[in-house]
Amino acid sequence: MTNLHRSIGAAAVIPLAAVALALIFPNQQAFLAQIAITALVVLSLDLVVGFAGLATLGHAAMYGAGAYGAALYALHVWAEPLTGLIVGGLAGATIAFLSALMLMRAHGLTFLMMTVAITQILYEIVNKSRAVTGGDDGLYGIVMQPLLGVFEFDFYGRLAFWYAAVVLWLVFLLLRHIVASPFGLTARAVRDDGDRVATLGGNIFGHRVALYTLSGAIAGLAGALSAQTVQVVGLHSLSVTFSADILVMLVMGGAGRLWGGLLGALVFMMIHHYAAEIDPVRWMLFVGAILVVIVLFLPKGLFGGLEALVNRLRGRAPA
Amino acid sequence: MTTKRLLAATLVAALTILPALAETVKVGVVGPFSGPFSGSFGEPFRQGIETYVAMNGQPADGIEVEFIYRDLQSPDPGRARALAQELVARDGVQYLAGFVFTPNAIAAAGISAQAKIPTVIFNASASTVVSQSPYYVRTSNTLPQVSVPTAQNALDKGYKTVVTAVSDYGPGVDAETSFVKAFTEGGGEVLESIRMPLSTTDFGPYLQSIQLKKPDALFVFLPYGPPTFSFVNAYRDNGLDDAGIAFVGTSETQEVDLQSLGVAAIGLETGYFYSAAHESAENDAFKAKLAELYPDAEPNPATVSAFDGTHALYEMIRATGGEADPDGAIAAIAGASWESPRGPISIDAETRDIVQNVYIRVVEQEENGRLVNREIKTYEAQPDYGAAQ
Amino acid sequence: MYSLIASILIDGIAYGLVLFMVSVGLTVTLGLMRFVNLAHGTFAMIGGYAAATAITALGLPYGLALICAALAAGAIAYGLEIALIRRLYHRPELDQVLLTIGLVFMGIALSGMMFGNSLVPVRLPEFLRGATDLGFRQVPTQRFVPLVMGLATLIGIWLLFERTRFGIRLRATVDNPRAAGELGINTRRIYAAAFAIGAALAGLGGVAGAELLPVEPYYPLKYLVLFLAVVAVGGPGNMLGSFVAALLLGIVETAGKYLAPDFATIALYALMLLVLSWRPEGLFRRTSKT
Repeated sequence: MTNLHRSIGAAAVIPLAAVALALIFPNQQAFLAQIAITALVVLSLDLVVGFAGLATLGHAAMYGAGAYGAALYALHVWAEPLTGLIVGGLAGATIAFLSALMLMRAHGLTFLMMTVAITQILYEIVNKSRAVTGGDDGLYGIVMQPLLGVFEFDFYGRLAFWYAAVVLWLVFLLLRHIVASPFGLTARAVRDDGDRVATLGGNIFGHRVALYTLSGAIAGLAGALSAQTVQVVGLHSLSVTFSADILVMLVMGGAGRLWGGLLGALVFMMIHHYAAEIDPVRWMLFVGAILVVIVLFLPKGLFGGLEALVNRLRGRAPA
Repeated sequence: MTTKRLLAATLVAALTILPALAETVKVGVVGPFSGPFSGSFGEPFRQGIETYVAMNGQPADGIEVEFIYRDLQSPDPGRARALAQELVARDGVQYLAGFVFTPNAIAAAGISAQAKIPTVIFNASASTVVSQSPYYVRTSNTLPQVSVPTAQNALDKGYKTVVTAVSDYGPGVDAETSFVKAFTEGGGEVLESIRMPLSTTDFGPYLQSIQLKKPDALFVFLPYGPPTFSFVNAYRDNGLDDAGIAFVGTSETQEVDLQSLGVAAIGLETGYFYSAAHESAENDAFKAKLAELYPDAEPNPATVSAFDGTHALYEMIRATGGEADPDGAIAAIAGASWESPRGPISIDAETRDIVQNVYIRVVEQEENGRLVNREIKTYEAQPDYGAAQ
Repeated sequence: MYSLIASILIDGIAYGLVLFMVSVGLTVTLGLMRFVNLAHGTFAMIGGYAAATAITALGLPYGLALICAALAAGAIAYGLEIALIRRLYHRPELDQVLLTIGLVFMGIALSGMMFGNSLVPVRLPEFLRGATDLGFRQVPTQRFVPLVMGLATLIGIWLLFERTRFGIRLRATVDNPRAAGELGINTRRIYAAAFAIGAALAGLGGVAGAELLPVEPYYPLKYLVLFLAVVAVGGPGNMLGSFVAALLLGIVETAGKYLAPDFATIALYALMLLVLSWRPEGLFRRTSKT
């Protein structure tokens, strides 16, 4: 298989998976939309955690900024979805850029706690600005115009799912391109040996700020999608809890690989959803045990495990 | 061969008989059945529903009700909407119920309004919640509903000056706003209004600075569980009661926390809508059945909200004969009134919100050592004062 | 004015000592052993449940209940170390995050099933209840528990790590496991013991702090940020650093509550940002390789 074929094949995975999911779960479109949006924010998190090597518990700051930005834009300026999406992305990028100036010299536990602090401060500010944000009751009353002027948002969430899936797909293609570009290669070089890049004359700080801002923009897009499709934005979108959830999904899927983030979000959301459906009271026991098992038996996450499995099968029966 | 035939015959028989036996009406219940709010809401919801069902059987001959429980740990509008959508589209529920947090209830309102699903709110307390869908009904309370009579009682007791201290979130702000309005309109003075972050664990400093202001009383609203526990202990341990600053509370001494609070709670005065010590035949019957089903459970305001919510569901199902008739169902419950374990209640015909008594209670210790909220005064048929604001 | 400052200091130090007690165990496991232990709160919670059970069900006095708490948390941690945790010392930090979050989830569900989902009070003995009069104001008597225990722990840990054979071996193991092994130190046993000590301290903290952070199934997640903040600001692995950081955070948040009640939380996190920007390694660097 040539490289071209391979990349076309890979590019088709998301649309095919979306069609398959829509066929298998025809009456759960709103849940599928949640998965697509979560996958998008996990993908953006992978840029920071996987490609920059920085564990964060503050990614919700950018996701929430995108959500509130898009919601306020829809309520007070224009309820057109695509421009709203851009506003959300810009809001996420702005927060990311400003905090990156403070954050990008830190690493490890220090970086982690600084991201927590920034998120908590934003959370408190939004909580206190009740007149603008609705505080803890949430920001509601968002009614979006039809997408592209044609497609109405239906309450079953059909459009919500396809809208989120297409955005996810486009962002994924873009990120694949970026990751393979000199910019992406530098990111990994900085992660693996920052000192060496610095000696070679690389601007590590500037590079990290750019990467963090890009990640923030994508998280902002995800937040905007959530605001537009759920029509309510709550403080949850700015919480450390949400940040921790998506970090768990990423690590579970396999950080440092774009596919890992997607797989992690899909599998975690599915396991959580169905475990909670079967036993609404004790599902955390089951999910916790699964996390432990994955750590012990799949050191490279679900995607790493999948890859190893595929390679073994290929090895046995070479095509 | 014969066993196979027998099996097939039984299957056919079962398939033909079952639908004739009973028609199943499905109710989706969304609430925190796990996580930090399961003890104060999720478990009481389930206990309230199942106690009602155990006491009343099925709503009518040939109609069976099936409750489908879905876990929603915390405020998360996206998941709330997804759960509501899935319950309606996939599971085919005719009714929805539950909802603890306001953003979740508002997110599900879109589904309720457009799919025409009558929904009974068991808790979400912001005044605006019920108006978000024409098919919403509420059997819990709003904060203005309990705070206004509590303010009235504070005025009647002769308190001239008050400091308010509430947790800085939706219900806390609602409680503060309505209390301050009612108290100042009645001629009282509010010296300071403090909003304490939800994540506060050490309340000592707030109580010390309140003590320096020397008010007659301290009005409080905190969420159930840990914050209430720490606050009440801090109130005693910082000597506010010795300094003569009276405690004016709302839900702080509710039954799920009361025994944990221990002796620190004795003498605290609160205004709220349900006390397990309410004296009536309905309450006795409710408590007896609850204790039979769940020996460790405390009869709690959330339990009674779900119990009455189930009554509302039964009324709607009965009125529509188990058929999907959302407008008929809402017409049947709007304006209804009945005797609840908490006392007489009704559903306002216009707002679909609950009208109920608010009781002033004081915590006493019974001979067996258990603490109870003894009712000492009743403000009858209180509406949601927040709706008018 | 002076009484205000005195009040801020008294309440701030009292609160800071609670913070120190609940996070001191994490200084050992995360700071010293460099294991990203997000399940620290689980061990504190285990301690709390053990003490509550010892007092209420077994009728033991408070002092014995404290020992039960430390033993229960330490024993469970020791078992977990052997079964799971030692497999992850050499794995990436993110794997440690995932494992310990998995343990936290399981702990939440199990404790809910065993002890119910409401909080469980750790009953205080009569002499620790109520208020103590300082003349110009009162303080909760219970706060003397974290005060005494905090100072005792600080001294005890210092003696243990600096003055005993075990401490020397532990530091050697952490700094250079291979060399330590070649010197004949049983590094596996040292690690298991250190992890159990960290958890036992967490268990003590769970009881000492139970008046402010009540014991309930969700405890480990609810206060996780608080524990991490103390360790990060103090400088991972530095016991004295954690002590100073806990007092500093306690005093700043308390001052915020007195002076600008609505902004106490923001003040706390702003301070954290400032300190960590100024000194990314925390207030005190870990003293190693001496």
